[in-house]
Amino acid sequence: MPSAPETTCYHCGEPVPAGADLSLEIDGRRRPMCCAGCRAVASMIRAAGLGRYYDFRTELAGRPEREADPGRFAAWDRAAVLDYHAVAADPVEKGRRSLVLVLENVHCAACAWLVRRYLERFAGIGEARLDVSDGRLRLDFDPARTPLSTIAAGLEALGYPPHLDAPGSGAERDRNERRRMLKYLIVAALGMMQVMSYALAGYLGAAAAGGSMDPETGHFFRLVSMLVAVPVALYAGQPFYRSALAHLARGHLGIDVPVAAAILLALFSSVALTLFGDGEVYFDSVVMFIFFLLLGRFAVMLARQQSGAAQSALARALPARARRLTASGSEDVGLVELSAGDRVLVADGEVVPADGEVESGNGRVDEALISGESEPRARAPGDPVLAGSLVTGGGLTVRVTATGRATVLSGIVDLLGEARRRRPRLARLADRVAGGFIVLILVASAIAALAWWQIDPARVIPVVLSMLVVACPCALALGTPTALAAATRGLAADGVLTANPDALEAVPRLTHVVLDKTGTLTGPAMRIAGIEVHGGLGRDRAIAICAALERVSTHPIARAFEAGHESEHSDTAAGAVAGIAVQQPESLAGAGVSGVIDGVRYWLGRPDWVSDRAGIDIDVPENGTRVVLAGGGRCAVIRLEAAPRRGGRELIEQLQNAGVEVVLASGDREAAVAETARGMGIAEYHAGCSPDGKLALIRRLQRAGGVVAMLGDGINDAPVLAGADVSIALAEGAAIARTQADLVVTGRDLHPAARAFELAPRVRRIVRQNLGWALAYNAAALPLAAIGLIPPWAAAIGMSLSSLGVVLNARRLGRARGRTPGAARTGFSPAPEAGASA
Amino acid sequence: MKAIYILIPLSLVLLGIAIWAFFWAVRNDQFDDLDTPALDILDDDENEHERRETQKREQIS
Repeated sequence: MPSAPETTCYHCGEPVPAGADLSLEIDGRRRPMCCAGCRAVASMIRAAGLGRYYDFRTELAGRPEREADPGRFAAWDRAAVLDYHAVAADPVEKGRRSLVLVLENVHCAACAWLVRRYLERFAGIGEARLDVSDGRLRLDFDPARTPLSTIAAGLEALGYPPHLDAPGSGAERDRNERRRMLKYLIVAALGMMQVMSYALAGYLGAAAAGGSMDPETGHFFRLVSMLVAVPVALYAGQPFYRSALAHLARGHLGIDVPVAAAILLALFSSVALTLFGDGEVYFDSVVMFIFFLLLGRFAVMLARQQSGAAQSALARALPARARRLTASGSEDVGLVELSAGDRVLVADGEVVPADGEVESGNGRVDEALISGESEPRARAPGDPVLAGSLVTGGGLTVRVTATGRATVLSGIVDLLGEARRRRPRLARLADRVAGGFIVLILVASAIAALAWWQIDPARVIPVVLSMLVVACPCALALGTPTALAAATRGLAADGVLTANPDALEAVPRLTHVVLDKTGTLTGPAMRIAGIEVHGGLGRDRAIAICAALERVSTHPIARAFEAGHESEHSDTAAGAVAGIAVQQPESLAGAGVSGVIDGVRYWLGRPDWVSDRAGIDIDVPENGTRVVLAGGGRCAVIRLEAAPRRGGRELIEQLQNAGVEVVLASGDREAAVAETARGMGIAEYHAGCSPDGKLALIRRLQRAGGVVAMLGDGINDAPVLAGADVSIALAEGAAIARTQADLVVTGRDLHPAARAFELAPRVRRIVRQNLGWALAYNAAALPLAAIGLIPPWAAAIGMSLSSLGVVLNARRLGRARGRTPGAARTGFSPAPEAGASA
Repeated sequence: MKAIYILIPLSLVLLGIAIWAFFWAVRNDQFDDLDTPALDILDDDENEHERRETQKREQIS
């Protein structure tokens, strides 16, 4: 026993069940572990000599969700899989491959460090680079020396289950875009420094000599400036020229039209003056203008790329392999090898790899991911099944009809991606305002040009330039998208995915929040609801035995028997478990666990499996989730129920303090709902609501002038969510891909939801500040430029500073704050698995 | 002032080299991972040298 009892797991930070004797020596001290899974991962990290991970990390690791199964990845070594997913490595070397894996549970830089260091130990690994923001691992390896299956199994054992990424899923495109922008930015920055130094020489020379520097030197400096500025402006300004041309081709004035016009006008008038005449040149202003504009664009691009945290949902929703029937038996193949007409075997607890039709076998199929149907449905020969659905009872032989991009699941993911790319309403509004403003600038510049032509033709170009530059509505156009992108990123870091940024605008106006109970206030974790003993087994003793047995299992249901869940029964378990030693522990995935305690073998798990093994008849009612413990002729039937999510009370208090009415609407029985409402401090509750009933409730509140948000589990509540002004769904893993809600709260507790309610008003405030500032600046600067008070270089500085100010102001939203341990897990854990079997 | 006629073209050459060096760095993924290299210096692994040597030998063999 450790000398000082520590209460949380050293690896994942979850509470350690009292009396659990799982600990591991790391850095010379014994560290407590909460379960066999965490212990396995931690001992692996220690064995690899990477224990410093625990010093580096800033986020806690995720608790392993399932037992590692090295055989799962065997199909990844097949030539067809490698050919499809991996390309020949960049510096072409014989046999080397490079591919992208999507890892789960990536939280912080220490994860990237750990993964890279771990992979470096394998022979033939050239490069392993993990992007912390989206969990993508770029891997450059030699399949002949370390097979991909070994790498994948290692990563899973390390706590980062990998998935193959579909080629062309955007990672490469993002990276190329980032690199291109970086090059533009570097060229513009270096060019700006050079040209500014030449210009400064001119200004200083003029000041020192009391007049102007001698004409020959002046001309030389102008020539050199031109030599630098022209290629720099032509190269680094490409994003603006392209975008301006694209806008003109589509027949409207984009923000980049006056930008490109100003750059080219200044550039070519300066070239003409340098070569053929004398007068003021604007090379320094041009390059500076380009640099600061690029800086703003770069910030927007980074924010946008980092906000796509729900990417590669498709890869996560599908299994790693398929078992294909051949003439002589079956073989494991990669999903890319499947084609229509193949027959695949899908066993209990496995995910269907492709759309198809049941050919033989019977089983229940959980399609919650695809159709939203929460109850598994029986499937018989002739029935269709969809890729991504989970077989929860029985086994099926499926004849494949559609694979990969042709599946229904792929279509859903595409649709969702489409919805995410849609420009938010606020940004479109700002675009329209900016569009009007551009017309105004162009007209005003033309009028000013005519006026100055009459007064002083030499000043036409400087005035027009100043006007075009100073009044560039960049700040106006950047203000909203940068704020929304930064907020999206900040929320994603806290575990909230923003599918529809418009929702952020509506949140501050909310008057009512309707909460669902099951799946929302309660989570996927189970706790003991009741226990029934037979054959003289004591209740406390039964629970203690269960707790001791389940410690060998990493299955989520095991947690029901741990302390920390507020259940009267688990306290007993915690007290009694300390003295129980389990010998010869065994665990069978999808069935249960067994072990010898005090000379008696006990089985704990699915009722049919236990009664089969223990050889006794057990009468188990059909409703609810139950597990059975049996051994030595005695047995206990344990009923499990969903445990409440953490953070629920805080969320409700926060909303009530903000003056928002919280309403509980549930399909559950009156008594249960009333009890939850009382416990949570909710005054208004409605029990026995069907989805239609909930929708009617929302409609009624809306008719009374309310702005209503609905917080639900996103699958059963889909129609209700659609009816609310703001819809927020709780989802984990692959379910994220399916929900149609505006905001998706990931992870197991409700803290991220509270964060979303807290951040949204700040988003609105910052958008307003940005738009107000941009409008005020442009309105004030345009007349000053028109009467010739602002020289072009000052205009470039003013415009740049106003844009930069707006971008920096927006970035304040991106700072993630107060992230709670375990709040933002986006791991794959199909909800049904938790309750299906022990 | 004759010096500037040599020094300024020289600065242009340096500018070209600087841009080339940056492009090289971008192409070789130097800007792709800005998170983990910061942790590497904290890792006072005494076997670091040995590890790399073994790796090198492995790669050759």
